[in-house]
Amino acid sequence: MMDPTTILTLMNAAVAQAPEAATSAATGIAGADLIKAGALIGAGICMGFGAIGPGIGEGFAAGKACEAIGRSPQEAGLLTRTMLIGQAVSESTGIYSLVIALLMLFVIG
Amino acid sequence: MELEPHTWLILGKFAGAGIALGMGGIGAAIGMGNAAGMANTAIMRQPKVQREMLRTMLIGQAVGEGAAVFALVIGLFIIVVSPANLELIGGNYFAALLGAGLSIGFGTFGSGLGCGWPAGNACAGFARNPARSPKLTQSMIIGQAVAQSPSIFALVVSLILILTAKNGTDLPTMGIYISAGLAMGVSALGSGIGSGKTAGGAVDGIGRWPLSYGVTLRTMLIGQAVCETPAIFGMLVAFIMVIAPGDLNPGILGFAQVFGAAIAVGFGGIGPGIGSGLTAAQGCAATAARPDKDALILRTMLIGQAVSQSTAIYALIIALALLYVVG
Repeated sequence: MMDPTTILTLMNAAVAQAPEAATSAATGIAGADLIKAGALIGAGICMGFGAIGPGIGEGFAAGKACEAIGRSPQEAGLLTRTMLIGQAVSESTGIYSLVIALLMLFVIG
Repeated sequence: MELEPHTWLILGKFAGAGIALGMGGIGAAIGMGNAAGMANTAIMRQPKVQREMLRTMLIGQAVGEGAAVFALVIGLFIIVVSPANLELIGGNYFAALLGAGLSIGFGTFGSGLGCGWPAGNACAGFARNPARSPKLTQSMIIGQAVAQSPSIFALVVSLILILTAKNGTDLPTMGIYISAGLAMGVSALGSGIGSGKTAGGAVDGIGRWPLSYGVTLRTMLIGQAVCETPAIFGMLVAFIMVIAPGDLNPGILGFAQVFGAAIAVGFGGIGPGIGSGLTAAQGCAATAARPDKDALILRTMLIGQAVSQSTAIYALIIALALLYVVG
């Protein structure tokens, strides 16, 4: 049975050695570079794919609003307001993606 | 990677031409099948005007098939292209051919798919109102021509990539060529589908209410112009990557910068392109039904489209930050 302090010391040593071990890997690509590259591509994937849903969803809402205004133009104000509220909710996931992408670019990367 | 020049060239030809023809064929095939299906339904309803319907279907299919023809031309060009210094070819040339294939393959997908809706709805309009055929055919061709523009952007970018490829092998330059093609092609996909959907809605409206031809056509052109925005963002990013890439990091970091930017602006353009098209299609149909309220409908349509485009603008900001700020 190993003493807990010894385990802690061994773990600390392993963590301290980890970056050097990664740098000297046979591929010639440093571990730190790989992590940063992952964050950069991740930011792109996050914003790129994250923008698909809000774009289509907001367009769908606006299309239905146009259709409804064509049928009853006297309710245009009410319909536009409802459209904008619905779009704002749909937009929220796009803003989440933007926040996470910016985090990956400037905080993690 | 250490590969012989000849191997890089052949690999590029296979990858580029395969993606160009494989992806480019899908959209046009689905779109033209859709048009033929709607033409059959229309002929079933009004067999007396079958000759005119068949003619309109064939004109519409010929325009839509143009997208697949662009892909075929670029695919053949990739196969036969033979650079001057064969012994200097490296990974960069491979990446340029692959990028050209990605650009034209994804770029013609959307236009081919989108051009099916106006052609099919024109035939459906004939069945409703055979006397108005010239206006239907006219609006179909105008709408399809605009819906083809993303595939023309993609054609330009793929030609630039093939003709300006550098020699040698380095990871950031390979990334630039692949990413420029990906950014242009994928962002054009959404714009093509959206513009086609808009033209489909307008032709459908004109078929039902032929008297509001002029005002519907105006709403269609404005709506399609907004749908093209993501493709223009994609083309912008592709151009700045090739012409002024900024200070890219060496090695895999530089590759990640440009590739991340391409995924952001490319895939980020799909949703806004399709969404703006859904909005504009309903806007055109509503304008055709109520031409007296055209200003009100146009205003609502533009507000809706602008909100839908916001995510494309976020994607553009992230792409530009990846290219110029993160360095």
